[in-house]
Amino acid sequence: MTDMPALTRVLIVDDHPMVAEGIQSILESYDDVEVVGTLCDGQAAVDRCRSDMPDVILMDLNMPGLGGLSATEMILEQAPDTRILILSMHDSPEYISTALSHGALGYILKDVRTDEIKTAIDTVMAGDRYLCPGARGSLEPKQDEDREALTGREQTILLELAQGKSNKDVALALNISVRTVETHRKNIKRKLNISSTAGLTRYALEHGVLQGTGVKL
Amino acid sequence: MRFVSPKLRARLTPSYAQKLSLLATVPLILAVAAIAILVAHQSRALAEREIQLLERQLLEAKKDELRNYVTQARNGFYFIYGSAAPDDQEAKERVKQILAAMIYGDEGFFFVYDYDGTNLVSPRQTHMINRNWTGLTDSMGTPVVDEFIRIARRGAGYHTHLWPKPSTGEEAEMITYVTSFPSWQWAVGTGVFIDDVVETVAASRAEVQARVQRTFLAIGAITLAALILVFASGMMLNFRERRLADAKLKALAQRVIDAHEEERGRVARELHDGISQILVGVRYALDTARRRLSKGEADRATASLDAGIDNLGTAITEVRRISRDLRPGVLDDLGLGPALKTLSDEFAARTGIVVKFSTVPFRNRLDQDAKIALYRIAQEALTNVERHSGASEVEVDLRGHTSGVTLRIRDNGCGLPGQSARGSAGLGLRNMLERVEQLDGTLLIMPLTGANRGTLIEATLPLSHLLPPDRPAPPPKAAE
Repeated sequence: MTDMPALTRVLIVDDHPMVAEGIQSILESYDDVEVVGTLCDGQAAVDRCRSDMPDVILMDLNMPGLGGLSATEMILEQAPDTRILILSMHDSPEYISTALSHGALGYILKDVRTDEIKTAIDTVMAGDRYLCPGARGSLEPKQDEDREALTGREQTILLELAQGKSNKDVALALNISVRTVETHRKNIKRKLNISSTAGLTRYALEHGVLQGTGVKL
Repeated sequence: MRFVSPKLRARLTPSYAQKLSLLATVPLILAVAAIAILVAHQSRALAEREIQLLERQLLEAKKDELRNYVTQARNGFYFIYGSAAPDDQEAKERVKQILAAMIYGDEGFFFVYDYDGTNLVSPRQTHMINRNWTGLTDSMGTPVVDEFIRIARRGAGYHTHLWPKPSTGEEAEMITYVTSFPSWQWAVGTGVFIDDVVETVAASRAEVQARVQRTFLAIGAITLAALILVFASGMMLNFRERRLADAKLKALAQRVIDAHEEERGRVARELHDGISQILVGVRYALDTARRRLSKGEADRATASLDAGIDNLGTAITEVRRISRDLRPGVLDDLGLGPALKTLSDEFAARTGIVVKFSTVPFRNRLDQDAKIALYRIAQEALTNVERHSGASEVEVDLRGHTSGVTLRIRDNGCGLPGQSARGSAGLGLRNMLERVEQLDGTLLIMPLTGANRGTLIEATLPLSHLLPPDRPAPPPKAAE
């Protein structure tokens, strides 16, 4: 198998076995796709990606434990080049924009025609964004309508930083590299338009985000 | 103290109604007690004054009587005394005889002592005659004969003392009037027992005491009646209130049940009329495809399969719609901000009313109850805006702050429907209030006037509904 030149290695993450198997059987009918596994929750996917990196991950949104969005962020922290396609039942634009903000390269509805899944995989393999038809129009113009929302990971890191921890401490606590923390930190500061760490803490406190951390200003 | 069970404490802690009746009865009882004491005191004082007056009058009457006796007696033999010499023994004997004969009433008699204290006349107690009684005192120690002589030396006067009753020999209080025959050095007098006066006064006192007691009893009875009235009316009021509250609660529960049933009915209908029918269609298509395949008509089978697949897609879309109507997945998956954003966008698209939505860049930081409550409040508010306000623009704002989270919905419409047109809007507002109250939050519904007229609805939930950070702070050693 490995001698075939353009074989795309796909990992399927979905907690519904029927859906996972269905997608697997559909994809196995294509010659240039190899399904390297099916997993049923986000944490398993993150763990798997530490050792064996697939080309494309088909990721369900709603899963028990670690959800698809958080898993997407965490996998991309390890391997920024992984192409993640969110596979979902939800067609609301909010989902799509949120998925993209968490780093997903594509968003596809589960009830599309099956050949569209293959199209989506091919598109993201080519390095392009793939969004399900119908969602595209409602998505594009809203980019900087108001302040960009923080992703789940960014919120977590903001909380850690606001409690007075250094980049190194945060990296240690979240088991990621200091570089990654720095990137997140830069993104947070950009999104909140705040330049100092004290400003971040104050902002988090004023918006009730630091509830329960014991941090007071 | 620590072992006081909550049940017992509940029993010891007075309820609101109990406090209220305490508030009504304690001052009443205090006031009545004060009045009773005052009344008793005053009536006693008044009666005492009257009794003293009576006593004085009775005694005066006795004294007058005595003086009359003595004066008359004196007049009776004055001609003898007036013309006699100081040592006229015969005249003295005559006068003594006259005086000894002047006994009156049951106990009345005249006595004569010479200034030395020797009794000369004592018709009812003859053993006293011709004996010297200087130093005689009554059982209370009051000097008797000496006092008579002292009074006589000065002229005339009264003396109150105890004296044995001639009839029974018992000592009783007596007033004596003493006058003098100075040339003979005699003290002449007579006395009346005043024990009847003392008895009358004592009887009056007893009567007053009894009257005061009766007054007390009457006041007590009236107070008791008033208290019973207060308690009875309080209990009746309480009972009525409770019944009213029960009725309201019942009506509310019924409305909730009705709404619940209606919702179930709607979902059941949608499942049956929508999904089931579509799925039946899919089944027919699949059956047809199988039959055609078994007949070897592969092309026609593909057409049937395509129709089935299309129908399945419709069914999925339909399920998605029903599910979203029941509970938007965005709310659970992405949080309140995105859910409100979706709600606002859909509302704007449906009604043509401009919705300006703003929020902070934080997501999913509210607990489940708070998310649902605020979402439903926003839904309710937007429904009201659409139905009643005639607004052209709505602002929806959600943000966290140091004391919690606030959802603010402001429209530029004509305000809330009036009392008469309450109906669904009233129920809606009430639902909002109940949701907020259940989570210890506050709800502000404010009509705005002036240039920025419209309605402002502001729901605030306390910090306790903001989720603590996902990742608890690691132990200090990790942080170094």
